[in-house]
Amino acid sequence: MTGTGAPWPVAGLDRIARLRALAAGLPGSVLREQVLDAPFDDVWGFVGDIERSVPAFDRNVARLAIDDRDGDRLRGRAWAPHVPVPFRYDMVLRPGWCWMTTRPTLHVVGMAAEPDGERTRYAHLEALVVAGPPPVRALARPLLAAGRRLLARHVADDVAGVVRHTGGRAPWGAG
Amino acid sequence: MRTDQLVRRAQRGDPGALATLVDELLPYAGRICGAVALDAGDDALQETMVAIIRNIGSLREPAALRGWVRRIAVREAVRAARAGAGGVGGAGRGDRRSTPVDPAELDAAAAAGGPGGGSVAPGGAAGATVPDGAAAVEVRAVLAGLAPEQRAVLVLRHVEGLHEDEAAVALGVAPGTVKSRLHRARAAFRTRWTA
Repeated sequence: MTGTGAPWPVAGLDRIARLRALAAGLPGSVLREQVLDAPFDDVWGFVGDIERSVPAFDRNVARLAIDDRDGDRLRGRAWAPHVPVPFRYDMVLRPGWCWMTTRPTLHVVGMAAEPDGERTRYAHLEALVVAGPPPVRALARPLLAAGRRLLARHVADDVAGVVRHTGGRAPWGAG
Repeated sequence: MRTDQLVRRAQRGDPGALATLVDELLPYAGRICGAVALDAGDDALQETMVAIIRNIGSLREPAALRGWVRRIAVREAVRAARAGAGGVGGAGRGDRRSTPVDPAELDAAAAAGGPGGGSVAPGGAAGATVPDGAAAVEVRAVLAGLAPEQRAVLVLRHVEGLHEDEAAVALGVAPGTVKSRLHRARAAFRTRWTA
């Protein structure tokens, strides 16, 4: 229960739970959660520096550049290895939260972290997205299902990369 | 971005719009889930947000977003409270025989609290004013003595500031049921608050 100082009790969602809720609305999504044996500040100090962290833990990204910042709203580009044309991303970046969506909407990445004592709960979501009216999205479902199988391996690799760069050991919680 | 534009984008599966929708609806749904489900509030809120995100495509009129979210939040909060706290409901059911109250007095208290307020306990005007910041634990303790359905009607009337007809829509019951539940809930609240 999250209190706000007002007399009536108020419920809240932590960032991991927000990511779970969003995953429910993205049929092409893969979400993986992991407890990292490193404090939140260390984990987010790495992950939140996305220009450095994403190319370090994601082997499909050779470079990521932020072009524009407006508070927690960012715009940037990411280059796949040996591909000269970048993907353009709209991003929301806050402590413990990163949400990246390509323009046009094809791919989304969500990263969330919550302190857990001296450890950190980390969640990583990726999704292939077909935005459009319901008939278009219904037609795309088989494609998204096939994509999920590939994404599952990719997300596992990404999380392993985050573990590697934040002090190594993951005591439990791979999901 | 206007709410109708945000809803339309979310209905087309736009992930950025879905994330913004979650950000914007969390405080509202959190107030309902927290006050109705108490200890199970966070779980109720999670289920509420999942239901909203999964079913946003079924919302025909974006202007009706708030009422639609309210109905989902109340439903999930009552369900979570029933599933999570057998003792809570039991205590509340006993109070359905509680002391009669003066509706005029309680409506005055409601008016003083106002929509979204909550500085006045719904159980009484004189002598039942809740000191801001210091009474969250006390209000919570009193709420814990009510059944989830009683808490729901109190929240809709005193936190959301809904009229009885609007509360009936949110709860999916007849207006007369709201009236009687509200009467019992206020009486139970006042009995516990002044005990």
